[in-house]
This record gives sequence, C-alpha cells and structure tokens, in this order.
Amino acid sequence: MEIIALPLNQKTEPFMEFFNTPQKDCLTFDPPKNETMKTRNLFVVLSMLLGSSAIAQLKTVEFEEYDLKNGLHVILHEDHSTPIVAVTVMYHVGSKNENPERTGMAHFFEHLLFEGSENIGRGEFSRYVENAGGVLNANTTNDRTFYYEVLPSNQLELGMWLESERMLHAKVENEGIETQREVVKEEKRQRMDNQPYGSLLSETMSRAYTEHPYQWPVIGSMDHLNAAEEADFIDFYKTFYVPNNAVLSIAGDIDIDETKKLIKKYFSAIPRGTQEIPRPDIIEPAKTAEVRDTILGKDQLPMIVQAYNIPAQGTEEYYAVDMLNQVLSGGESSRLNRAVVDEKELALFAGAFSFGLEDPGVTLAFSLANMGVAPEEVEAAMNAEVERLKNEPISDEELQKLKNQIENNFVSSNASMAGIAESLANYHMYFGDANLINTEINRYLAVTKEEIMDAAKKYYTENNRVVLYFMYDESLESSN
Amino acid sequence: MKIFKYTLLVAISALFVACAAPLDRSVVPMPAAAPTIQLGDYDTFTLDNGLKVIVVQNNKLPRVSYQLTVDRDPIFEGDKAGYVSMAGDLLKKGTTTKSKAEIDQAVDFIGADLSTYSSGAYGAALTKHTDALLALMSDIVLNPAFPQDELDKLKKQTISGLASETTDANSISGNISNAMCYGLDHPYGEPQTEKTTEAVTRDDLVTYYSTFFRPNISYLTIVGDITPEAAKAQAEKYFGAWEKAEVPSMSYEKPALPEGNKVCFAPLSGAVQSVIDVTFPVDLTPGEDDAIAASVMNSVLGGGVFGGRLMQNLREDKAFTYGARSSLSSDPVIGSFSAFASVRNEVTDSSIVEFLYEIDRLASEPIEDSTLQFIKNNMTGSFARSLESPQTIARFALNIERYGLPKDYYATYLSKLEAVSKEDVLRVARKFLRSENAYITVVGNKEEVAEKLERFSYDGKVKFLDIYGRDYVDLAPAPEGMTGKDVVLNYVEAIGGVDALAKVKSTSMSGEMDMGQVISLTQKTKDNSMLSMEMSMGGMVVMQQVFDGKAGMVAQMGQKVAMEEEELASMKKQADLLYEAKLDDYGTTAELKGIGSFDEKPAYVVEMTEKDGTVSTVYFSVENGLKVFETSTESTPQGDMVIATTYKEYMEVKGVKFPKVISQTVGPQSFVITYNEILVNPRLKNSDFSVN
Repeated sequence: MEIIALPLNQKTEPFMEFFNTPQKDCLTFDPPKNETMKTRNLFVVLSMLLGSSAIAQLKTVEFEEYDLKNGLHVILHEDHSTPIVAVTVMYHVGSKNENPERTGMAHFFEHLLFEGSENIGRGEFSRYVENAGGVLNANTTNDRTFYYEVLPSNQLELGMWLESERMLHAKVENEGIETQREVVKEEKRQRMDNQPYGSLLSETMSRAYTEHPYQWPVIGSMDHLNAAEEADFIDFYKTFYVPNNAVLSIAGDIDIDETKKLIKKYFSAIPRGTQEIPRPDIIEPAKTAEVRDTILGKDQLPMIVQAYNIPAQGTEEYYAVDMLNQVLSGGESSRLNRAVVDEKELALFAGAFSFGLEDPGVTLAFSLANMGVAPEEVEAAMNAEVERLKNEPISDEELQKLKNQIENNFVSSNASMAGIAESLANYHMYFGDANLINTEINRYLAVTKEEIMDAAKKYYTENNRVVLYFMYDESLESSN
Repeated sequence: MKIFKYTLLVAISALFVACAAPLDRSVVPMPAAAPTIQLGDYDTFTLDNGLKVIVVQNNKLPRVSYQLTVDRDPIFEGDKAGYVSMAGDLLKKGTTTKSKAEIDQAVDFIGADLSTYSSGAYGAALTKHTDALLALMSDIVLNPAFPQDELDKLKKQTISGLASETTDANSISGNISNAMCYGLDHPYGEPQTEKTTEAVTRDDLVTYYSTFFRPNISYLTIVGDITPEAAKAQAEKYFGAWEKAEVPSMSYEKPALPEGNKVCFAPLSGAVQSVIDVTFPVDLTPGEDDAIAASVMNSVLGGGVFGGRLMQNLREDKAFTYGARSSLSSDPVIGSFSAFASVRNEVTDSSIVEFLYEIDRLASEPIEDSTLQFIKNNMTGSFARSLESPQTIARFALNIERYGLPKDYYATYLSKLEAVSKEDVLRVARKFLRSENAYITVVGNKEEVAEKLERFSYDGKVKFLDIYGRDYVDLAPAPEGMTGKDVVLNYVEAIGGVDALAKVKSTSMSGEMDMGQVISLTQKTKDNSMLSMEMSMGGMVVMQQVFDGKAGMVAQMGQKVAMEEEELASMKKQADLLYEAKLDDYGTTAELKGIGSFDEKPAYVVEMTEKDGTVSTVYFSVENGLKVFETSTESTPQGDMVIATTYKEYMEVKGVKFPKVISQTVGPQSFVITYNEILVNPRLKNSDFSVN
C-alpha cells in the first residue's frame, strides 16, 4: 500500500498512452468547455502528482490463491456487480533487473510482447481484445512489469489464451523490434524531453543512487536499445518471462471453479523456467554528504526537489516516513501547503511523497516556485517545516486527521476490478501476502507520533539527501 | 487374464483420453453467452428553489459523493479572461464565517474531498461524515466571501502558472487550436494571459457569482451509500435556502471554417517533437440523431481503440509517434474535431500527410464490414465497462436532464449503436469531417520544421502564432554590432539629417480625420520647444492643447486643465523635432530587438524606454530607415490600453520628411489622420502658444 500513488509519469511506461481519450458521445461527462480550457494545465498536472490514492478498503476483499506445478501463482477474486473481468499477469522483472549495458530492456520488452506469438499474428493482440469489447495495456516500473486486459466476463477464456500465449511462446520479429524501437524513442521524447520537468525523476534517481540499479530510468538508454541484439531478447524472455516468476491475478464476474479449469487448460503446460533469475543484491551505501546540483532546461519556474533515501516499502520505518509525508502534504491543510504556498506565498505548489520500492527507495519533497521567487528561499521554507517535525511531535488532532484521511483513502481505493487484481498481485509479489489488501491499513494506523518524529530525525537529514534546482536556461532565449 | 487385459485396455485408453485433448493453441476461444448489461436506476426530484436533484443509490462502499453543476451558458470574458474560473477557485477560499485555513482543516479532518470550480462544486466523504461535508459545501456555495487577499494570492499563482505554460508544448497546442478553431473573440477561444489576469477585480467575481450561482439552473447529483429519502432530506437541509433568481442566457455566432487548410505554427525553442493538431469546429450537439454514428466514425479513425486507423498508421506502421488519436466532441454551443499526435521533428510533414489521408479516406470510401463490427463490439464493451463506476449512471441522468435527451437514451444506447450502418458512417464522415478546411496547428521547432509545412496551407503560407494564438512577431537577428541608437540616428538621417532639421524653426500641419463626422486638426511647433494642437468639428473647437515650453494646458469643451508633470515631459519631446537625435539628453534608451516585419516588409524593432519607464516598441523600415509603426501601452480609466500608430506616405518639405498619413488604434477604436498641408518655417508668434 502506498498512501500516495507513485505519481510521476516516468514511474511506469505503459505500452500505450491511449485510453485517456473519452468517447465524446455523452457517454462521459465533461465540465463545461471554457472551464477546462482555462485550467492552468501545469497546475493540474502537478496536483495529480500528489493525487492521493491506493490504500486498501475496510470492507474485506475475498480471494483465493494457489500455485500451479510450474510455479505460476494464481489469485482469484469473484465479484458479480458488473459483467466484466480483469485478467492480469505480473512479472517480477523491472528496470532494476537489467544488465547495466542494456538499460531499458524491461520496458522495451513490454512493448515487444504486444507484437504477437506463435498463434497470434503481428498486431492481432490488441485487435482480439478490442474486438471483444475489452481494453488492454501494460506498464513497467523499477521492480515489475504488469499486463492486463479488462473484458466482458463472457470473454474470460480469450484473456487466458492471450496471456498464456504471451507467457509460453511470444514471437518477436525484426519488423516489430524496429518499429517499437522508434515508438519507444517517441515515447521518451513525449513523456520526458517534451514534458514540463520531464527529466525530474531521472535526474533525481541518477544522483540518489551510485551503486544500485535504481539509478537509471525505466525507459533506459536509447543507445542501449539500439545495441540490443536478438540473443539479448531471447535470453531476457527465457530468464524472466517464466511462470515461476509471474502472478496471474483475475478479478471480476467469474465462477471460481470454472476459472480454475481454464487456468489449468491454458497455463499448466507452460514449462517452468530453467535459468536462474537474477535479483540484484546491491546495497546502496549510505550517503555521507549532501549532493546538490542545478539542472538547466526550458521550464520557466524554478522547481526545487529534495530526495532522501529511505527504507524499502513494507518496513515499519517506511510506514512512518509515509505518514510523515502525509503530514507534510496530505490535503490543503497540510504543513507544506499551508506554510510554503498559502502563508509565505513562495510556491505555486509544494508536496512530498514516497517513492516506495522493493529495495530501499527515496522520498521526495518538492516545490514549484512562484515567478520571481528565489529557489533558496523556497528551500529554506521547506526545510523549516521538516525541522519542526524533528523538534516537536504532531498534535493529537493532526494524528486523528491523518487516520481519517487514511481510512477514507482505503475505502475509496479498490473500486475497480483492474485495481483489485493489480493490488492483489503487488502484495503477493512484494510481500508474499496478498491479504495485505485488507490489513495493510493497520500498519499505517499503528504508526505513533514518536515514530513519525524519529523518521524525520533519521532520514530527513542533510547528508542523506539530493537537492536539485531545475532552472530556466537563459541561453535558450537567443535560439529559435 | 481376459479381465486383466480388458482393464489394461481401459487403463490405457483412459490414459490416452487424459492426454487426448492436447490444447490446440491455434484455436481462438469462443465467448460464452453474452452477459446482460443492466443500467442501474436513479431518482430525480426538484426543490422549491428549482434545484434539480439526481440520486443514484449504490451501497458497495460506505461513501457518498455530491456534485453540484451550475448549467449556465459559456461566458466571453474579454480583457478580464480568467475571472470566471477564478471565481470558481475562490469559492472555497473563505466564506462569511470561515477562513480558507478553517475550511481546509475541516475538510482534511474528515478525510473528505472538496473542490470548487466556476460551474459548481464536488464533495465526497465516508457516509458517517456526510453531514459535516455538506455543512461545509453548503456554506461555500451559499455564503462565499471572495476575500481580497485570497484573490491576490490566486492571481500571483495563476500568473506563475501561465509563465510555466509558455514553454509547455501541449498547453500551447491547446491554446492555439482553440484560438483558431473558435476564434479569439469566442468564449472557447479567448486566451487568459498575465494581463487579463491582472485586470480581474473582486467585484467581477462577486458579480459572476451572484448572477450565475443560482439553484434554478443547477443540478445536484448524489451518488453512493444513501437512500433517495435521506438524499432528499439532505438536499432540503443544505441547499433549500439557496435563493433563486433570473439568470441571463448568452448565445454566440458559430465560428467559420477556414477557406482551405491552413498551417498555424507556434515556435518553441529547442523542441524535439512537434505537437500536431488537425482541428476544425463541428456543429454537433449532445445526443443529436447522428451523434452515435459520428462516434462510431471517430472511433474508426482514432477515438478510443488502439486499432484505430491513425494509431495503426502513424504508430504501428510508420513509428512516427507514441500515439495518434482523434476526438469529435459534441457541445451545445459548438463542437469540434481534433486529430493529434506528438511526432519527432523530421517526420512532421509526413505525419500531416497521413492525418489528412486518413481523414479524407473516411469521407471518401465506406469502411469494411469487419471494421464496423470491430468498432461496435468495442463500443459495446466500453459501455459495459463504464458501468463499473456508479458515477456513470449519474452522468447519464445528468446528460438526459441537461441536454433534454429522451429518458431512454442510454437504456436504448446499445440497440441504437447496433443499428449504425457503414452507409451511416460514410454519411456522417462527409457531414462532419473537413480534410480541406482544417486548421493544422503545430507547436515545435521553427528552424527544423516550419518551412516544410508551407505546402499544406491553401495559400502556401504558414501563419505564425504566439503561445496564445495571436499573431506572432517573428524577429530575425539584427546585423552584428548594430545598436538601437544606430537605427534611431539612421532614422534622423532618413528624414533629412540633423542639419536640415536644425533649420526648421517652426512647423504647421493641418489635416482631417473622419470619425463619422469630419474632424479638422491643426498642429504647430516653434523653436523645438513649443507646441499647440487644435481639433475642431463643424467650425467648433472641440479640443485644444498648448505647451509653451514650460507650462501646458488642455481645453476640452470649454474646460481648461493644466497639464501635469508627466504630460509636460511628453509635450517637451513632441515639440522637439530633434528628439531622436538627442536621446541621451532626454535619458531615453533604445534597444535593438532584431528584425521583424511590418506590412510584410522587414523592419528594425527597437524598444525605447523613456526616463520615466514608459516603453514603446518602434519599427523602422530596413529599406529606407523611416519610422513605420509604433506601439505602447497607456493607462486609462478603462484600464491599460494598447496604442498602435502607423506612419505612412512620407513627404518632403524643405528637406525634411513628414508622414502624411497617421493611423492610430487605441483599444477598440481607430482613426486615420490625413494631413493636407504641411508648412515648414511659417511665421508663428510666441503668443500662439500662450497657455492663458
């Protein structure tokens, strides 16, 4: 569970950034047009960075789970309220598993695995799903790759067939490789180069880590992708795309027994992987001095980012850090918003969220300075709020507010079948306990005021951080 | 033995059966019987004050949401663009009894969501907190205070936000597409700029709120863990006291299509991709007869499936982009079509070719049966999936009420979809698509991209725009070493030179301007230090200005007013023909910004800053050095106004050139002065310049 969804758009790299376009035939409700048009776009984008989401719910999510002989872990959740089903497969491979000379492979592979299989021609994968009235997509993070289809429930078997084909004998031809190479380059240009503050996360992570593979971005290096050869692809597929490295999670309008039969039919014959699955055991050394830098770019307003290295997700201290971030930026009454945005009027936006990862991650605090405000001034105001948390415990009322917010987030999450399937798979893959979907809230609620203070003292230190100023590059004025 | 044998056979055959059906993976699984798609119910009722309430009960989660929608017409905001949305933002930043901080604290304490916007508000909370939430929401909607300090803060944030958008390709693309598609003088096309934001006052917000925030044009949509009875009681309790009033309605002219395809380009330094949008206005209202067929047509092109033609062509076949899509939006005022993608610089022109090809293809040949079925299947699935969220039923209900759709519009949606034929698709493609009257807007790298796009414009020209969709002033670098002062001295040379100007002791110029009635105008100068100007209409002097070198006065309709310091300083410069030759003495600086164009001819653009900080931008012809255009901003009681002056038809009198025709626009007004007599060194007396 994350209090705050991992929000920056580089977190995951979906196969297609596509299904955000609503059908415009009264099937959706849009606010009046002149409203949206005058929205200050960037502000909205930044609000989404902090869009709190994803906690579990108080109402129990029932599920069943088991392993096939080939090691595939299966999780099933039955819910008949809408005649749809989410068929998902999560592979335990992300950018951290990559060869440092072949960064970007995990995400590139995600693209390639829509190309087809022994029985599915090039381009037919999406066609089958869409023709059945479904949607499909995938995304890749530092730690895992996730594929899903949401289908009318009578098309459950189609989803099984497609995912089993992908796992058993995906087929990638040269034409597809060349096409997707270019598509990924465009994706990088669109999502990073041509996006406001699009390099924020990659610039931060490359400094927050010196040893651990989290230092390179999920999208990877274009040179590495250019250099990748057929043998690299085959090796990657045989190593990671095996049932014993995957979770099949299905949620929706299903009959559990029928579903189990279909799973046996489509997945049981897929052979277990024979190669050892590399899992990096690199431990990022503790920082001994602050890393500070200025990045010049085309964005007009200074962005101030502070990244502190924190423990892995799921640890007790991780929950305390997450609660600390909630104190700093959960809602308009949160401390950073109140002090930096409302009272001192230094920033357009200020926030903090944890980038919780399987291995020790980072927590980010950031502010977008108002026009004409010096970044140093903003940073000082951010630091003052952090110092306050080190020196005095939060009030009882503030703690109660955090708990109420967490409860609300828990209830509101898991509203969709796709979301439930993904959460179940996540909890199993990272913690070996899918039932955390129901119980992780208790870990948050158990965090005390003292633990929040301790987390601030231990992790929010000068030596443990990267501070970046993203500033406007004046030299751009003369060109174009 | 026999028995044994038999058993063995059975055993073997059983074994065979067990492996007998190895899965034939080449067989695509068939779907099971189609599930029924059921639309949930909703209740509606109207309060005495006219507020229409829609309730969708769904007890899956212990949570309720409340959406208030003020259904007003779009508003053209003009030189205060932004005030409507600022009024919306400010609703939750203070009520008559609560500060912003108190509201924020109260909302966060119950873990609720609460947001406001120009046409309503949205709140959601756990069922147990709904009364606390509604008390806040009601206070915000009924008693907003619009605190001045919060407005000041919001302006500052808005201006910062606008600044950050100046380099965001997608924001700029939105701006210029709207400006082109609807026009800068339409509520959907007008830009909000720093200047329009600055001009907003608290009164504007209060007036907007009290005029439009009325229950009789509003809807309250309640969704979640609540019975219709409880919802009704809450609506009465929290919104029953909201007072109704007559609300004005507005209508707007339909924007015209361009004569032919027109490329509109907003330059963005260092861009690595072009954001392309092929767009035009479409007369498509929500729920009209062709709406569903139009939606099918747009889906074929690129409106919701990966299998759409644009995605398949531009991404999967050519790898030009990460994604290419289209949208066709209906709107009660005016809808629009848009086909868009971000593509790398070098394939910008090739991408436009493909966009136009696909749009044209859809309007020229019928789609295949399999394509039609594919899209119908997908839209049916999409409809079913949308029902996962209880908000969908609420949206359907709201659309039915707002747009006057038949009550069974959504209940019969799937059968209407099924009835769409490929002939219908072709017909609506011809009706709505315009592959030859489209705006092709591009935000990108000018050097690398722009020139190659000329061929797509019907007139062979690319129209350059600024980030708000206004005409772009394109400056080329000035020659190395040249300064603003050089250009100004060059102008002095061009009108006759210092020596010739020094010989001018007095001038007298008479002319006329036509403002419905003819106004005569006489202007005199003496000794480079005195000035007078007189305007008369039908023989009556309507205005007089005199400056004797020290003091000055303005007489208007018989009233005399002494000039103040600022005006005197300005008079002093106007009286001096050698002003441009003596910039240093006057403390005026001239900065050469580059070479732009005026009237399609190259001109040096010089920014002149006077001692008191007044800035004007002056254009000097590259060809002959003469001043051709000048623009400055002046504060007036009506707000800041841009004054633009054009100088034409220079004529020489005793070795000195004067512009014969001067046209000026001030805000929305414009007039042209034509001089019919220009005299150099006429006999003038000092008494002609007496201020008494």
